[in-house]
Amino acid sequence: MNSPLEKILRAKPLVYTLIILPGLWPLWPLFVAPNPSVLADPLKYVLHHLGFVACLLLVIVLTLTPLRVIFPQSRPVLALNRHRRLVGVSAFVYAALHFSTHLLYEGGFRVLASDVKKPFLLTGLIAFTILLLLAATSFNRMVQILGAKRWKNLHRLAYVAAALVAYHQAAARKLFPVQVLWIFIPLALLELARIAITVQQKRHAATSARMG
Amino acid sequence: MLIRTPKDWELSESSATAEAAYRLRNRREFLKTLGAGLAGVALAPHGLLAATAGFPSKENPLFPASALKPTAYEFITSYNNFYEFGTGKDDPAKYANRGWKTEPWTVELTGLIRAPATFDVNALVAKIGGLEQRVYRHRCVEAWSMVVPWDGFPLAKLVALADPKPEAKFLKFTSFLDPKNAVGQQDSYLGWPYVEGLRLDEAVNELAFIATGIYGKPLPNQNGAPLRLVTPWKYGFKGIKSIVKIEFTDRAPLNTWQRLAPNEYGFYANVNPQVDHPRWSQASERVIGGGIFAGRQTTLMFNGYEKQVAGLYKGLDLTQNY
Repeated sequence: MNSPLEKILRAKPLVYTLIILPGLWPLWPLFVAPNPSVLADPLKYVLHHLGFVACLLLVIVLTLTPLRVIFPQSRPVLALNRHRRLVGVSAFVYAALHFSTHLLYEGGFRVLASDVKKPFLLTGLIAFTILLLLAATSFNRMVQILGAKRWKNLHRLAYVAAALVAYHQAAARKLFPVQVLWIFIPLALLELARIAITVQQKRHAATSARMG
Repeated sequence: MLIRTPKDWELSESSATAEAAYRLRNRREFLKTLGAGLAGVALAPHGLLAATAGFPSKENPLFPASALKPTAYEFITSYNNFYEFGTGKDDPAKYANRGWKTEPWTVELTGLIRAPATFDVNALVAKIGGLEQRVYRHRCVEAWSMVVPWDGFPLAKLVALADPKPEAKFLKFTSFLDPKNAVGQQDSYLGWPYVEGLRLDEAVNELAFIATGIYGKPLPNQNGAPLRLVTPWKYGFKGIKSIVKIEFTDRAPLNTWQRLAPNEYGFYANVNPQVDHPRWSQASERVIGGGIFAGRQTTLMFNGYEKQVAGLYKGLDLTQNY
């Protein structure tokens, strides 16, 4: 039985809309309702905004699997899990736009020479490289080519990317930005719950096997 | 290679922007007339009324608007770092104009001086002998820059008024503390009030300036009304806003950002394209108001004021004393 909520959550157009709309947001303070504080350095605003959306999408896609483990019966959660690849690839697309804006903002590729010397920027570069690798191997055929196990291990790099992004975002401001906690603490809690459940299930399976 | 430090910064700048600067100059004259005549009446509802209105300001020919291209008034007054009112660039313009009073305002001169006193800001300006306008570059430690037409008076005049004793070597500036009206001060992370410091010889350098206005109008609250420090060869955070106390001391005061992150911010904070911030390069800067495709501008040693201040730091290792 498909509930209306589940139907909505399964729909691709809705997900596309939710992914694209945040990318259009800067048009508002730049053109629709011009904000002098944004227009003072418009590219910096765009740069930070794209990075923020990339980070949110990465965190959202990583919450989907733990949600499925914690709520295996929830049909809305299962419906959302159908969009994992789409959300993951769009996190990469936003990261790529963020990186391109960085190059434009800093005046070209030569900035990379100093980027790699600064942990704040190096973490962003590595995270972006990981997302690039994962997006490039996100096709069904790649699972066959690499083998399911190897493919899965490769895609676990997404957790490394998330940790790097958390640092990258925290280091972006002069003071520690509290939003980093709002974004990453829920993810960390979900992952902990997921690990606890998985461990318990494994132990349970082992016990049943011994008794059987 | 990428870093270029022209010997004569004034000439090169003026030849590049003469026409635009001329037009802005007329705009400034207009604003000045407006400021002198209507500021008190017309601007009051927006909270722009501050102390030190009614002191006409004359351009100092050594630092003219024609030498640089001043940033538009709306950017100078809407893109601010003033953490007392929040960490967003647009926070100060919003929250510094909601009931925070910058008039009347007094400033205290104290410490190792012969003439300790507390002055009303307007009385102080009158005593010092009025205001002058100087157009200075402004370089933030976050690698962006502006050009600001400040109105104010040389800090050296205030130092002379205080009459420091021989043992006075430093100035410690303290900003206001008013958590009730300054929302940012309700969070204690920064350790309010904001504190900055200068060496006495830096304070009496010809460039060191106390600003009371912008574009011939009293300083808007978000820019540090009613009076703030301007040291154009240093990063912007040295320019402490809304000063309530200046204490002359015999040891270097621990300034707020140095206390918070000593590996990133030092006492001197001189603009130096060769010494990077640990998290970003200082070799170049984005010019505020330049638009999306403006590109970057090379950052100059001492922000282009090498001629005036380099002598202060002879023999000092600037990579250690950043």
